[in-house]
Amino acid sequence: MSKHRHTAMKGASYGKIAVSGLLVTSVGLLATAGVYAGLSATATGAESVTSGTLNLTLTADGTSSGFSNFTPKMAPGDTDNVYVNLNNTGTLATAAGMTLAVVGTPSNALTNGSVAGEGLTLTATQCSVAWTVATGVCSGTTTTILATTQVSTLSTASALSNVPTLAAATGQLAHVQFSLGLVATETSTNGVAPGSTIQGLTTSLGFTFTEQQRTGVATNQ
Amino acid sequence: MQRRTHRNAGRTAALAAVLLCGVALVPPIAGAAGLGGKAVGNESVTAAKWGVTASVTTMTFTTTADQTSTVTNNGTVALVAESYSVTVSNPTGGSPTFKVFQCAVAWSGNLCSGTAGTQVGGTLAKNSTTTITSTTAMAVSGLLYLQVEPTGVTASTVVTISTKIAAPSQLRAAVKTNQ
Repeated sequence: MSKHRHTAMKGASYGKIAVSGLLVTSVGLLATAGVYAGLSATATGAESVTSGTLNLTLTADGTSSGFSNFTPKMAPGDTDNVYVNLNNTGTLATAAGMTLAVVGTPSNALTNGSVAGEGLTLTATQCSVAWTVATGVCSGTTTTILATTQVSTLSTASALSNVPTLAAATGQLAHVQFSLGLVATETSTNGVAPGSTIQGLTTSLGFTFTEQQRTGVATNQ
Repeated sequence: MQRRTHRNAGRTAALAAVLLCGVALVPPIAGAAGLGGKAVGNESVTAAKWGVTASVTTMTFTTTADQTSTVTNNGTVALVAESYSVTVSNPTGGSPTFKVFQCAVAWSGNLCSGTAGTQVGGTLAKNSTTTITSTTAMAVSGLLYLQVEPTGVTASTVVTISTKIAAPSQLRAAVKTNQ
């Protein structure tokens, strides 16, 4: 019991010493700060930065209605030509190159390759000037950016060829003709299509174009 | 016990703080590629259907009387040709032969507007299957009239007609649409 009281008194003494030490240290620090306040100096500068934008938009080229609805019933060998502009309406130029993914909704034999050798095909051709939609003629220079390809192989983004950089300046765009075709080699018997057929099917093709910004630039000024 | 709980809580808080700092300091790899632009468009397409039906596909001949069948384009695309697979049975007697004629209008008194009509293919012998082809254009829902004319029937003989439309050769010419 006595030993316990002795220990408690000893702890209290240590506490007093610690509090005293803290007080002395605080006073010392305050005095030092007062001395330095008299010697401080400040320099300021401002650098303003505006981030660029990259906006890829799709519009109809010339008198074309652009991507819409092909109302006739498409027969094998038919071609549905659609004319669109790919525009960069942002403030940054794009990198050369672009990817395209085409997904059919619903997915059926027109787009999923379930009937071997049959289905929709897609070809993309760029014109250096706007297309003459009525005749499907390019009065400038044409460049193939997608050779005839089965749509069933475009469900994942595929790189287009020869797509130029779309500069940020107004009027810089790509005039592209997309040609949809239908391949079919099947025979109907007694008015009935084969069990696996592309006949009479409807799908809505979703075209997704993706571009990246130009390479980053280091500026020393 | 309470002290141990406090200690555990402290450790948890410290660990969380370290993890948060780690996440904040990791470079944004996904954003390293820079800005991307995306544009989408939709185009809907419907494929045509092609085929023809025959109103009568099985004809049984016991005499030399002609029999007819009406062919209808039940597809959604015009045709430029139609094929028929004609099977002639092997009768118990005789050697009958058959010819198929077509007419743009219904047969009347075995005649096509007063004429014999247009023969499709050649002469079909018994116990045979032959594909014959007409190159007559047929609009969607258009009609064509066939007449099968026998010769030398002495025993019951069955003729079956199966229509066939093959793409793309028997469909109208391909169309290019700019829109």
